[in-house]
Amino acid sequence: MALLEVREVSKDFGGLRANDRISFQVGADEVVGLIGPNGAGKTTLFNCVAGYYPVSGGQVFFDGQDITPLKDFQVCRLGLARTFQIFQASGDLSVAENVMVGAFVRTGSRRKARAKAEEWLEFLGIADAGGLMLSELPVARQKRVALATALASDPKLLLLDEVAAGLNAAEVDGLVKLLTRIHREKGLALLLTEHVMEMVMALSHRVVVLESGRKIAEGEPAQVVKDPEVIRAYLGDHLVSGENGHA
Amino acid sequence: MEAIRNAFDFSDFPRLDMTVAGAALVFLLAFPALPHSSFAMATMIQFLMFSLYGMGWNTIGGYAGQVDLGKAQYVGIGAYTTAVMMVRWDVPFWVSMPVGMALAVGWSFIIGYPLFKLKGHYFAIATIATSLVLKDLFEVWDFVGGAKGLELPLRGNFPDFLYLQFREDYYYFYILLAMFLAGLLFINGFRHSRLGYQLRAIKDNEDVARSLGINVHWCKIKAYAVATAYVAMVGSFHACYNFNIEPEDTMSLDLSVLIAMMAMLGGAGSLWGPIIGASILVPMRSYLGSWLGGQAGLAGLDLVIYGAIIMLIAAVQPRGVWGMVEAVRGRRRGV
Ligand SMILES: Nc1ncnc2c1ncn2[C@@H]1O[C@H](COP(=O)(O)OP(=O)(O)OP(=O)(O)O)[C@@H](O)[C@H]1O
Ligand SMILES: [Mg+2]
Repeated sequence: MALLEVREVSKDFGGLRANDRISFQVGADEVVGLIGPNGAGKTTLFNCVAGYYPVSGGQVFFDGQDITPLKDFQVCRLGLARTFQIFQASGDLSVAENVMVGAFVRTGSRRKARAKAEEWLEFLGIADAGGLMLSELPVARQKRVALATALASDPKLLLLDEVAAGLNAAEVDGLVKLLTRIHREKGLALLLTEHVMEMVMALSHRVVVLESGRKIAEGEPAQVVKDPEVIRAYLGDHLVSGENGHA
Repeated sequence: MEAIRNAFDFSDFPRLDMTVAGAALVFLLAFPALPHSSFAMATMIQFLMFSLYGMGWNTIGGYAGQVDLGKAQYVGIGAYTTAVMMVRWDVPFWVSMPVGMALAVGWSFIIGYPLFKLKGHYFAIATIATSLVLKDLFEVWDFVGGAKGLELPLRGNFPDFLYLQFREDYYYFYILLAMFLAGLLFINGFRHSRLGYQLRAIKDNEDVARSLGINVHWCKIKAYAVATAYVAMVGSFHACYNFNIEPEDTMSLDLSVLIAMMAMLGGAGSLWGPIIGASILVPMRSYLGSWLGGQAGLAGLDLVIYGAIIMLIAAVQPRGVWGMVEAVRGRRRGV
């Protein structure tokens, strides 16, 4: 059985259907990309999977368990971590303390939490920033702190919501290498949304495409980008002359 | 055990801080032996009491960032438990104090559960309301003496360590000082605990905190219970020290506001903040109060001054005096 199974999940905001019966799976050793134009419903789907929103319909299974009724903090304890698209860094905790909060999911000991935090800061190449406040770091490093914090909670699956947004090409490159290492060396499954296509293409084994709340395509990255329906969704009808594509 | 090591771990403070703290401790230990007026002694006792109130308030109001303006209700529960048990059943302080703390904490769970569904200003207002309702109830409840309150029976054999009845104030002072030190160590351990870190994460961003496995609602309730235990403990002491309690002096809004203000002035969310705040405000309140009380027509001016202080904190340095110290040092060190 897949590590994560999203089954017919729907989410309504009043009259707006942000997710419409979406189904897909993520295997225990997979990296899956979730793409789609702005407002397609990617963040909403993340929020449904992570227990941040209650779903309007459908079910979510994680690690063989129905997590649909669970709250976000319970889902995290089962090993499903996430980062936020909009990362607010207000300032009461230092960088290392932030990461320790992640580690406290698995231990009550400050000593162990600190050791775990230092390990992840080291792994992510921001060990020198441990004593600083988040607001003192450039965006690229802030994102790494968010990543370290989620990772310190020892997840089996990590949901990444646009971790590459706002980064320059070199930084994106570094991040791709880093995520590859996290996947290979730490054995984590990843589910990521991204507008930075190079990143999705480089990392994902499989891509799921959303448009207006519906899943319109799924497959290997190289195939999905050639899919006429996907091209239409991204570029608009007028650019796909004559073709009446099907997924 | 790690919890005990944490309680004695002050390593995140620079040497200077610990030197100042050590000097202050020596001064406190020696104070009764130094020449002093009984008014100064009474002020010192108030200082210790308000430091403890503030330390308690700081767990929920400072570390967790939930501005609680209803702590007086738990002072009242502590004070009344001790008074009622002593008046009616002859129960010693050392028994009634933990009972009072337990009752207060129990009440705090009942109050806290709905209260922490509220956010920000709504939460602050609701804490005031619950506290005032309890005070009103006590004012009409004959069992606890109604608005007149309760007078503790004098037992006559001074010094009485079981019932905390002393002729000389230094007995009260040292007992309170012991509570103060124990309370300080406990808070030091608390801020190093998992809950301590989680509360600060909650203060930073509740959504992120929940995504990190933190049950935000329950953590707030737990912090509120810790705050309540401190406040109720001092309330019990207050009953013995004053020999006489009323709803007005144990459960008034003034007291709730003072408790919050001491911690905020000194520095909410920092270990030393409540102590610094109490060391400034308590003497000011004592001396100003007694001076203003003598000037006809000026009574009540102290409230205006407190209001001004609150506005000053909000405008200049939300992290209080301790925040200024950190700003001067250029970096936040300890919390
Ligand atoms: N809390 C909410 N209340 C009401 N509508 C919402 C809410 N969150 C999202 N929406 C709407 O749901 C739709 C999907 O939004 P969502 O944020 O999931 O898109 P997205 O794919 O993450 O977009 P982007 O790429 O811009 O991040 C949008 O039309 C959005 O306006
Ligand atoms: Mg989004």
